[in-house]
Amino acid sequence: MFDMKFAVSAFPQILTALKVTVYLSVIAVLIGTILAVLIVIIREKKIIVLNQIAAFLVSFIRGTPVIVQMYVVYYGLPQLLLILKSNGFDVNPNGLSALAIAITAYALNAMANLSESIKSAYHSVDYRQYEAAVSVGMTPFRAMIRIVIPQLIANLIPNYANFFIDLTKDTSLVYNIGIIEIMAKANIISSIGFKYLETYLDALIIYVVICWVFARIFRFSEVIVRKKVFQN
Amino acid sequence: MILQIKDLKKSFNGNEVLKGINFKIDKGEVVVIIGPSGSGKTTLLRNINFLESADSGIMKFQDEEINLVNPTKKEKLLVRRQTAMVFQNYNLFKNKTALENITEGLIFGQGIKKEQAVNLAEMALDKVGLLDKKDFYPSQLSGGQQQRIGIARATVLNPALVLFDEPTSALDPELVGTVLQDMKRLADEGQTMIVVTHQMSFAKNVATRVIFFDKGEIIEEGKPSEIFEHPQNIRTKEFLSVIAEDY
Repeated sequence: MFDMKFAVSAFPQILTALKVTVYLSVIAVLIGTILAVLIVIIREKKIIVLNQIAAFLVSFIRGTPVIVQMYVVYYGLPQLLLILKSNGFDVNPNGLSALAIAITAYALNAMANLSESIKSAYHSVDYRQYEAAVSVGMTPFRAMIRIVIPQLIANLIPNYANFFIDLTKDTSLVYNIGIIEIMAKANIISSIGFKYLETYLDALIIYVVICWVFARIFRFSEVIVRKKVFQN
Repeated sequence: MILQIKDLKKSFNGNEVLKGINFKIDKGEVVVIIGPSGSGKTTLLRNINFLESADSGIMKFQDEEINLVNPTKKEKLLVRRQTAMVFQNYNLFKNKTALENITEGLIFGQGIKKEQAVNLAEMALDKVGLLDKKDFYPSQLSGGQQQRIGIARATVLNPALVLFDEPTSALDPELVGTVLQDMKRLADEGQTMIVVTHQMSFAKNVATRVIFFDKGEIIEEGKPSEIFEHPQNIRTKEFLSVIAEDY
């Protein structure tokens, strides 16, 4: 029978893990965004060799599940550091926390996916906007900053929001490498009293609420930005 | 002499669009380029403004000689800051108001202080009769209003040369007149300009020189009366015979 009392008492305990989920999502997406911008610049400028590497990396990451990527980073990153150490670099292969590994894996995933979103938002800005800006004497950099990028951001927000929310949900996989986030906390508590449905429903409610909050924040930002940029 | 082009060639995927153009424009001239669609008229203007890179050619702009194949960033800025372009589709900055569309170039292109830029922009908007629309965004304006703001943006600093790329082609017929009036006013004020257009009445009445362009070449040029009344080349005659007045 469903134990309501257990579900209610477990809820605040599971909620304590929310900060890990939010921290992981926000940091991974922030790092991923910076890397994604670099990828887009490399690909749009068609920088030789780097362009091909970036295209391969994006396609590779987008074509594999995030849990596999996480395991590859989990087992691969320490080995990579070991190789660096044996070549004289001052790194500690044993000093990597599971959280650092998860952030690395999710940031790489964000990099690949967001680079495609940013690229598509960039191409959705009419190239003649850039031409008009340089034709009035702006440098290419100024033309991008003043004219193209504000329009790009307005176009990017919906896809960015979708990805951010997807990634937040996907952080439920990091308990596989020992990070105590919402899902891990629910697992631990449910194993105490063998009451699984109660704790998973708690986790479900927390995910629904947090994703709804994020969705509202992005929607609000989109309205503000579109109003500011396009007056619509 | 403001601008001279020597042996300008440009191909797209092996299709030669400009076949060695030689061309010169003096101060105060209004040169109107006519010719069939796809003949390379727009590509010529885009090359002058470095929106396309040429396959070969030299440009002499005022006293500066510039290789059109590999212009330096400095050369591009020099030409762009002393010329201006009016586009077929207006190309107003969608994220800026009418006023900001003009001040952006003044502040961030020409390095003019904001207060002065706003004054200049307001005067330019007043000239085209749209000062009351200064806080409107392009999406809130008609095509004709957008193009007149495009003209105000291009001419606010009395540039050495203004390039008009089919400025009325995207407009509804009833809006064409107001834009042409603004262009005629500029011509009367002595503004040097190159105009690519299908507006034959403008070519006849305002141009100081008409160039007939076809298949990437200048076929014939002369005063409007010479070109329209006594065309020498068979291709010019054919073109003029098939186009409707003010097509």
